[in-house]
Amino acid sequence: MNDHKIIFSGPVGVGKTTAIGSISDIEPIVTDEKASDMTKSQKPGTTVAMDYGMISLDNRERIHLYGTPGQERFDFMWEILTHGGIGLILLVSNSRPDPFSDMHFFLDAFKHFISRTKVVIGVTQMDLSKKPRLEDYYLQLEDSGLKIPIFEADARAKRDVSLLVEALLYSIDPGLEG
Amino acid sequence: MKSIKTMTNLTEPSLGPTRLAAIGMDQRQRNALRVLFSNRCNKRYVLTEEASSEICILDLDSFGGDQKWKEFRERHPDWPLILVSINSLEISDRHTLFVQKPIPVERLIAAIESHRRNLTAVDTDSEPAIGSTHCNDIKPIPSEHPTRNKVVSTRRAASLMSASQEQAFIGTSPDIDPDDPEHINKIYYNPEHYLQGLVQQALNQAVRHNHNIDIEGPWPGITLDIVNNKIWSSATDRQLRPYCTMPDTTLEVQLSPVEAGWTPPAEATKHSFQSFIWQLALWASRGRIPEGTNIRQPIYLRRWPNFTRLIITPYAMPIAALWAEQPRSLLDTANALNIPQRYVFAFYSAACAVQLAGETRRAVDTLIAPPAVEKSKLRGLFGSLLDRLRGGK
Repeated sequence: MNDHKIIFSGPVGVGKTTAIGSISDIEPIVTDEKASDMTKSQKPGTTVAMDYGMISLDNRERIHLYGTPGQERFDFMWEILTHGGIGLILLVSNSRPDPFSDMHFFLDAFKHFISRTKVVIGVTQMDLSKKPRLEDYYLQLEDSGLKIPIFEADARAKRDVSLLVEALLYSIDPGLEG
Repeated sequence: MKSIKTMTNLTEPSLGPTRLAAIGMDQRQRNALRVLFSNRCNKRYVLTEEASSEICILDLDSFGGDQKWKEFRERHPDWPLILVSINSLEISDRHTLFVQKPIPVERLIAAIESHRRNLTAVDTDSEPAIGSTHCNDIKPIPSEHPTRNKVVSTRRAASLMSASQEQAFIGTSPDIDPDDPEHINKIYYNPEHYLQGLVQQALNQAVRHNHNIDIEGPWPGITLDIVNNKIWSSATDRQLRPYCTMPDTTLEVQLSPVEAGWTPPAEATKHSFQSFIWQLALWASRGRIPEGTNIRQPIYLRRWPNFTRLIITPYAMPIAALWAEQPRSLLDTANALNIPQRYVFAFYSAACAVQLAGETRRAVDTLIAPPAVEKSKLRGLFGSLLDRLRGGK
């Protein structure tokens, strides 16, 4: 049995738990605990440890889906979680006060992991807040020279989350048959 | 007696990296060579000025390229030179080698090494390694993209688009021979002759005058709502498609400003500008490309299309991933991915219609051929995962 993992990250309340549940074969294991003062106003049952889901493939291989704890005080776990990971799905919510700052924060926090692998960004809750537009996110990344795939995403929609993962796989290996 | 061979106009051959000068190249092209020499050639070569170089590379496509070549040979009759050009060339000068652009890295290295061997030849009596030079004198380099039988993998592609959808959006045109003018003519369409072009024109007008526009024609209503960045259409795909696939159905059309207080009809569906024009472009192009597109010119991708809200044609995702890495020509893209050209053409037409892709204009983008696609160690795993995500096992 070979095991591999994909990391889902992003700020509190962005939909990491939901996104993992959208494509996981198993009911996601959520280790929610009572939120701290800092985050309970945004999401009462926020994830303070991590989420876990899994996709079993028929060739005895498994893809583990890990959601990082949303709170920054758990960032010591992020490095541990990413070890050996295939790549990063970063979710950013358009309804948060400063989604650009969130995006930059997480890209910076995972920069070593990203430099070894690839990242794809899903912008959630665009139905609640139309702005910023996807173009604005790309403009934010212009100076970095990175051409990261950024898609509008509904964390509840299996198709959207699947396409984020597909974009991650093709970014790593464009010659992948498909 | 064996000694290091010297050439009158040549600086002393170095024991360190080989020194090369780039003539007729702009700063970007020079930087591209620097990066190439540093990263992919393990610093075996360095870029320097002409006076201190051992070998020169001259871009014949630069302004006055032929004159630069002539003047160079007047200055240095036997200086080792590598000419590069987009057009093939036969050369009868034994100190000159030719490499056609976009430059395959292996060919450039072979040419440099060929010159380098002469520079360091130990037997002064021996003939130069380069006899009467010709571009074919360089040993054939294996193709960057191993030739496999072009098998269309419909297994996974089909799960993104049904066979009937694929026929409607992509068509079934076979690959063309890029050197056959008759074939070439078959791959072009003029977007202006289709509803695609009309909607693009209306959108430009709406933005310029900052008012909403009705596109009135034989089809059910189409309204551009620039306040909300939406297109409202009462037409179903079935109703709209015939007007999108046939040229010149837009001859009797009126673009009229929408009156204040307009509200969309109850039966109208809203679309983003991008998704609507993307779809129209796919219908109109059916695996072709806009007139005037150079199939050998590298294509850039400004940014990734918002795939979660667009029709995804087969292989759109790998094509986007490839172009996001580096501009590549349409032909090279089809070869690199080993897929029929029509999929690349269709994706380009749609991406071009929404201004996400276009032909590169910078000289640097045609200088060096893009590298072969690197195969991930996990390709098998990724393939299985793709299958699962698309509803397979």
